[in-house]
Amino acid sequence: MTKALIPDGMPDVPTQVFEKFLQDLGDSGASVELAARLRKTLLVDKAFTERALKEAVLAKESLL
Amino acid sequence: MIRVESITISEFRGIRNLALDFKGRNYAICGPNGTGKSGVVDALEFVLTGNVSRLSGEGRGDISLKQHGPHVDIRNNPDKARVTAKITIPSLSKTVIIERSLKTPTTAHVTPNDPAVVEVLQQVEAHPEIVLSRRELIRYVLATPGKRAEEVQALLQLDQVEQVRVGLQKIANSCEKQLAPLSTTATHACENLLRALGLSKMTKEDALVATNAQRATLGLTMLGDLTESTSLKDGIVALEQDKPQRIPKTQALADIRAVHEVLAEIANASTSTLVADVALDLNALACDPMVSAGMKREAFYTTGMEFIEAAACPFCDTPWDLGELKKHIQAKIDYLEEVSRKRLAVATKIAPLIATLQKVQTAINILVGYATPTPSAAMEVAHNYSVSCGTAVEQLIALLPLAGTITVVTNVPIVPQAVLDAIDELDKVVSALPEPTEQDAAREWLTVAQERLEVWRDAMQKQEVAKEQAQRARCVSGIYAKTSDTVLAGIYAAVEKDFASLYGFINRDDEDNFKAQLIPSMGKLGFDVDFYGRGFFPPGAYHSEGHQDGMGLCLYLTLMRHLQGTGFTFAVLDDVLMSVDVGHRREVCTLLKREFPNTQFIMTTHDPVWLRHMRTEKLIEGLSAVQFRSWNVDHGPVRWDDRDVWIEIDDNLKQNDVRAAAALLRHYLEYVSAELCHRLRAPVEFRGDARYQLGELLPAAIARLRKLYNSAKDVASSWNQREIVDLVAARASEFARLADASNAEQWQVNVAVHYNSWDNLGKEDFAPVVDAFRDLLGGFTCPDCNEYLRVAPDRETPESVRCECGKTNVNLRKKGS
Repeated sequence: MTKALIPDGMPDVPTQVFEKFLQDLGDSGASVELAARLRKTLLVDKAFTERALKEAVLAKESLL
Repeated sequence: MIRVESITISEFRGIRNLALDFKGRNYAICGPNGTGKSGVVDALEFVLTGNVSRLSGEGRGDISLKQHGPHVDIRNNPDKARVTAKITIPSLSKTVIIERSLKTPTTAHVTPNDPAVVEVLQQVEAHPEIVLSRRELIRYVLATPGKRAEEVQALLQLDQVEQVRVGLQKIANSCEKQLAPLSTTATHACENLLRALGLSKMTKEDALVATNAQRATLGLTMLGDLTESTSLKDGIVALEQDKPQRIPKTQALADIRAVHEVLAEIANASTSTLVADVALDLNALACDPMVSAGMKREAFYTTGMEFIEAAACPFCDTPWDLGELKKHIQAKIDYLEEVSRKRLAVATKIAPLIATLQKVQTAINILVGYATPTPSAAMEVAHNYSVSCGTAVEQLIALLPLAGTITVVTNVPIVPQAVLDAIDELDKVVSALPEPTEQDAAREWLTVAQERLEVWRDAMQKQEVAKEQAQRARCVSGIYAKTSDTVLAGIYAAVEKDFASLYGFINRDDEDNFKAQLIPSMGKLGFDVDFYGRGFFPPGAYHSEGHQDGMGLCLYLTLMRHLQGTGFTFAVLDDVLMSVDVGHRREVCTLLKREFPNTQFIMTTHDPVWLRHMRTEKLIEGLSAVQFRSWNVDHGPVRWDDRDVWIEIDDNLKQNDVRAAAALLRHYLEYVSAELCHRLRAPVEFRGDARYQLGELLPAAIARLRKLYNSAKDVASSWNQREIVDLVAARASEFARLADASNAEQWQVNVAVHYNSWDNLGKEDFAPVVDAFRDLLGGFTCPDCNEYLRVAPDRETPESVRCECGKTNVNLRKKGS
């Protein structure tokens, strides 16, 4: 996992927001797959377009 | 993140060739306006980020970095315009050289070029806010709430946070928007299935009873359950393969009745009332040209926003600034908010008409299906009407153009007679069909029921998937909105507190209980500050310009601290404190030193007094400053540098230009004398306008040093330090000789450097004067480090005369004092 850390500093503001959001999403009972996809989109790929978010949010999930 | 050790600037902006050695410490660049200070700031920004904000962005017109970044004399050769910086990265314990030329501004040559170094430099590049100019300072303080929110958002990179919020919200909205048509489709499919099953409501038990009754007629096994994969006609498919298709009479008659019902509904009074109401609203909208045009524009902008994803225009490939363009278009959409509200109100009223038309279309399509593959001319008419219903639905959903929608709405209750005739004709044809045998009827029943069951199952499945997606998208959007609000509220609260604490510190003499409020609301950021306990007001309401500058600096420092945390190790403050009053400069220096001990500040100022404050408060060390005295287009900034000044005077004399040599000598002596008086704490007759003459300063500095040496001798004697007494005496004697040689103390009668006598002096007359003053100034310096001596401390009782290197340290405290 790549973190958008300011070197030798604290995470930047978007990273703080995204990390907290993913934590809250996990706590809400959302699927692990959904959280993983959003983590990749927001924190690894840093893709913030509607298209990228749509792919992460609406991807077909396994029934298990 | 980084500290800058040194910078070398070549042919960049107004600078021809300049090297500054920051040594990774705070550093000040002082000089009158137009001497090249901002050129250094631009060079720093350029080498670290590849951009110069002064030459790019909003309001810069035809000015560009590539064209106007190089020195004017080499503007066609941007490769020669280069800036090299030596930096250290504390976290990596590495020293790195970065070099950029204006030929390829975005490409930096980095040595060593390892991934960890590159990552840090990318972070630096992403933070152009390391440079703060006064123009930017004001933007934080005096901007409108909307604009301030943008500035603060840009600084904290909240645009990404906002972009995700908007994106997730749009996805949730669009998912929910799909639910209504899918629900309509499922409802229609269910109604068709119920008609086939001969039921009024859908329950598994009733469906099984009805199905098994038909299956019993055909001698098929009874179905025990109705699951997702159950086929109602299980067992009859193989038997029916070779039989020709025929119209299932009973079912077809039921479907014809359904069409009659729905056509009656479309033509009834309540539909007509609704149509009249909607038409009235649409006409009102169409009559208002602002609204009409606004709706078109809103639709255009909203559609356009969805396509702004690449870095260039999809039509002409012209590169664009993605963020700026989106912001620009969003502002237009926001402006059309009222239009949007009216559009939504009409769309809500139109929704039942859309549902009815869709119902008509579905019902007629079933009838048309009975006439396939060879429909009669009459059924062609019915088919065309069904298609026109579909087109009408599309128009009603699109809403624009309004004229088209008004026509469509007005025509909704009108069912063409030819369509009614076609249905009547089909009714007659079907009624005339021979009654099927009991087995045929059962077979037809099961076939049609199975077809409609499959359509219903498909519609239900799509609806379920869409529902799940809509729930998921809304849940994600909701959690994100709540989380980001919480995080941002926390950040704003912390910024508020930190800002008030920093500003309260620099104004602790009269505003030590200062408070501030950052009030985020709907994309805006209000900023009110306490005014002496009388309430909260915008910063520009009652506070002076100097106080506003102080606020701007404090808000900037606070935001940077929150943005970069311990990574806030470098910042350039470009003349940002020009209007801070003298009384608060000391506090600003202390603030920077105390609150940001790990941040290297490069500061520019046109005010030499400010520079002295920085030195006095130890914000900068003795050698950590450069003073520019002038600038010219051929050579760029000219600094007050002993070596340079004496070389320049000698050069003037070589060319027999006594006037230029004397002017420079006088100008330099004025500058140095003020510095010497400050360092030695020499008493000078006070002038309210601070416009001291050389004759008032230099003799005072000489007299002061003589007196200090005399005191030092007495002090050394009091401590019985014979050697020191002799040493000080020797220095004092040598200094007296130099002072006498310059005759400076008799300034008022010394014509040698009086400007009105210059014309009368020849080169040979003036050269000894130059030598005498050069030697005299040498007498004020430490023989080891060549820096000017100073009295320590700079206030209260003098304790010593010392230099920067510490090798000269003459005690001024008498034994027993």
